[in-house]
Amino acid sequence: VTAPAEIVLDHRDDSVVARISGEVDMSNAAYVRDQLLASMPNEAIALVLDISATRYLDSAAIEVLFDVSRRLARRRQELRLVMPPDSPLRRVIELTEVHTAAPVYDSLEEALS
Amino acid sequence: MRDRASQQAALAALGQRALSGADLPGLLDEAAAVAARELEADHVAVLERTRDGEGMLARACVGLPEGVLGGVLPVEPDRLARDLGAASSLTARIGSRFGAIEAHSGEPEHFTADDAEFLDGVAAVLAAAGERAGHEDLVRDSEAQFRELADTTPALMWMTDAEGDVTFVNQGWRRFTGGTEIAGVTFASSAHPDDREETVRLWTEAMRRREEFSCEYRLRHAASGGYRWVLERGTPRFSDGEFVGYVGTATDIHERRTMEEALRASETIWRELADTAPAMMWTTDTEGAITFVNQGWLRFTGTTFQEEMGQSWALGVHPEDAETVLSTWDEALAERREWEGEYRLKHHTGEYRWIHDRGVPRIVGGTFVGHVGTAIDIHERRTMEGRLLEVYEREHRIAETLQRSLLPERLPPIEGVALAARYLPGARGAAIGGDWYDVLERPDGRVALVVGDVAGHGLRAAASMGQLRNAFRAYGMVEASPAEVVARINRLVMSGVEQVMATVLYLVLDRESGEVAWSAAGHPPPLVIAPDGARFLEGGRSVPIGAADPAVFREATAILPPGASLLLYTDGLVERRDTPLDDRLAELAEAAAQSGGELDELCEHVIAAVLGETEPGDDVALLAVRPLPVADKEISLTLPAEPGSLAQLRRRLARFLHATGASELEQYEITLTICEAAGNAIEHAYGPGDATYEVEVSFDAGEVTAVVRDSGSWRDKRGEHRGRGLRIIEDLMDDVAVERADGGTLVRMRKRVGEDRAA
Repeated sequence: VTAPAEIVLDHRDDSVVARISGEVDMSNAAYVRDQLLASMPNEAIALVLDISATRYLDSAAIEVLFDVSRRLARRRQELRLVMPPDSPLRRVIELTEVHTAAPVYDSLEEALS
Repeated sequence: MRDRASQQAALAALGQRALSGADLPGLLDEAAAVAARELEADHVAVLERTRDGEGMLARACVGLPEGVLGGVLPVEPDRLARDLGAASSLTARIGSRFGAIEAHSGEPEHFTADDAEFLDGVAAVLAAAGERAGHEDLVRDSEAQFRELADTTPALMWMTDAEGDVTFVNQGWRRFTGGTEIAGVTFASSAHPDDREETVRLWTEAMRRREEFSCEYRLRHAASGGYRWVLERGTPRFSDGEFVGYVGTATDIHERRTMEEALRASETIWRELADTAPAMMWTTDTEGAITFVNQGWLRFTGTTFQEEMGQSWALGVHPEDAETVLSTWDEALAERREWEGEYRLKHHTGEYRWIHDRGVPRIVGGTFVGHVGTAIDIHERRTMEGRLLEVYEREHRIAETLQRSLLPERLPPIEGVALAARYLPGARGAAIGGDWYDVLERPDGRVALVVGDVAGHGLRAAASMGQLRNAFRAYGMVEASPAEVVARINRLVMSGVEQVMATVLYLVLDRESGEVAWSAAGHPPPLVIAPDGARFLEGGRSVPIGAADPAVFREATAILPPGASLLLYTDGLVERRDTPLDDRLAELAEAAAQSGGELDELCEHVIAAVLGETEPGDDVALLAVRPLPVADKEISLTLPAEPGSLAQLRRRLARFLHATGASELEQYEITLTICEAAGNAIEHAYGPGDATYEVEVSFDAGEVTAVVRDSGSWRDKRGEHRGRGLRIIEDLMDDVAVERADGGTLVRMRKRVGEDRAA
């Protein structure tokens, strides 16, 4: 059984919005990383990762966030996270200091402005 | 780069096409094209195992050289890939028998694990479609054969179900009577008004005893605008010893009757008439010796008038029939009464043909002077009856097999619920109905239950039931709202060619909270059996599936009290002609409330109390379910040391933690830490083979304790990632201890719960 996750991509003017729903763990983290990196055209300036509908993230998924941020930075692109304030994921994101690699926004509008 | 989301969308589209009844060859072509596109494969082939199992027939191809399509390959794994010199290939089996779908690429290691998963999905869609096409072929073959047989015979034929309602009349009958009546109307409605009552009386009498039936009456005759005498004969049909109805024929005996009437007037006139009649006729003296046979008889036997005189007629009777014919004839002669028999008589061509022969005593001036008889060639009818019965029995057997294969005796075990089901075939008609039940576990952790009843009986109903069952399995997985599932299936059914009507109760149960949401499409309400009594769940009612489009489907929700069971059933259980439905429902509720204990017991008790000794008129399906409280204070699991086990572990933990009263956040954090520890165990397991790890979780005095044990040893911080895993464990739990012993590692963690909520 592989953890079921679904990524929906939305190409905006100068950024790509990726919504991840479902669960990301060590069984599918590499897949998620590949998909995210492949979704970014050269001309985009930011990848906005919306995890509002993500039910589960483990340390392998956190590692993917750092990895994607690092790789995008080399291409002069930025990773931004969208997570509602009441998300159960918040404590883990803060604990692992993901905000040092990707700014965290409360809503998609804020992340895009 | 291939896109998983695009593969999933393509798979969903293919599944939808298959579900909406696309023809199999078209679907195979489409599957090959979709697979080639989504896998970026150089070639794709759909192979079907040949009937003899010796080869693989290429049914659909993309990118393959000419001549492969339609050709047969030997059954050898990767044969095609090798022949084509492909550098990498991917194969998925289609069902257990159908065949396989293969994709090849000239590039080494072209295919990924996602690709394999996608191709498995395509194969699963094709397997279901192939199986369904097989069922439909059977239905078509069997019905077509039956109708063809019946319609090519010049005889007038009909069939009834076990209640005597006519279910079929052939073309011969319709031509004769000029009537369009087919189903449901008893044949006596076309009888002459003077004969009707007597015919119906005889028929009803025979039906009750399930005996052969024969009578003569005048049947409406369209061509002449009047009535003609016919001999009606019905034979009861049995299948596996069970009475399933009658098959019957009517033979035109108008001339014979006219002749008998003529004979009463004058023998001379009769002889003149007899020689011009096409029927076979004879007279005997008081000793039973033949004194006259007409031209019709001689034309049949090819003998001369002189040869037939005296006792010699018996010589032409088939040896197997001779004894019965002669003994019954001698009896009738001795008692000077009417005689009748069906037997094989030697035809001038040398073969034996079945005839129906009847002699009536002639009384002249109060004195018995012998018999006069008429015989009719019924060979076609006799052979046809046999073949029809054969076809009919085959259809019944197929329907029964289909029904059995679709209704597993044992339900799949689903954690957290007790289940029991029963299916009772009805006593009537072809006995095989369209009732079914099904249970499946949804991805959101809720359990979906279905009980349905397809209108009609026999092979077609069983096949429709199979299709509906699959449709519920498919939509039940993707669609959360019961009313929406039912509405989607209604749309599917209404857009199909086949007319299908079904009542369905579709219900989704949350094992943890006991919340149920249901939609009852023309179906009787589910029954809740709680410790304090039984009551029906009202609401959520709509029209049956296949009745209207657009139609409004409603749903309703309720909470099951702790310890309650749910009973879903089809109306065969509660519908009876002699009792109002409300009374039967009340009876059902009362019976269910009195039953205690296990669900199997509940099913048996309800069946015994509601149906009693009588066999159900219609088939009955019952499905009972009870959410099991998470009584365990602890769980203990041994899981394979592979990443795929984590999703399974999370679902098990979700149920357990929910029952502890932990908040959503606490549940997430405890799950995460346990899974992080499990992730470490998986990474450090010795090889992917049969290594396992163990998880024990307990709850006591507001505190959750978890232990994760493996047989490997944790190396210190392998990069930032593992470091984060440990950090998560340490920060989210109140207390963590790591012990290394016996060549393994044990992590013990504790956390108090319920505090977030209180705060």
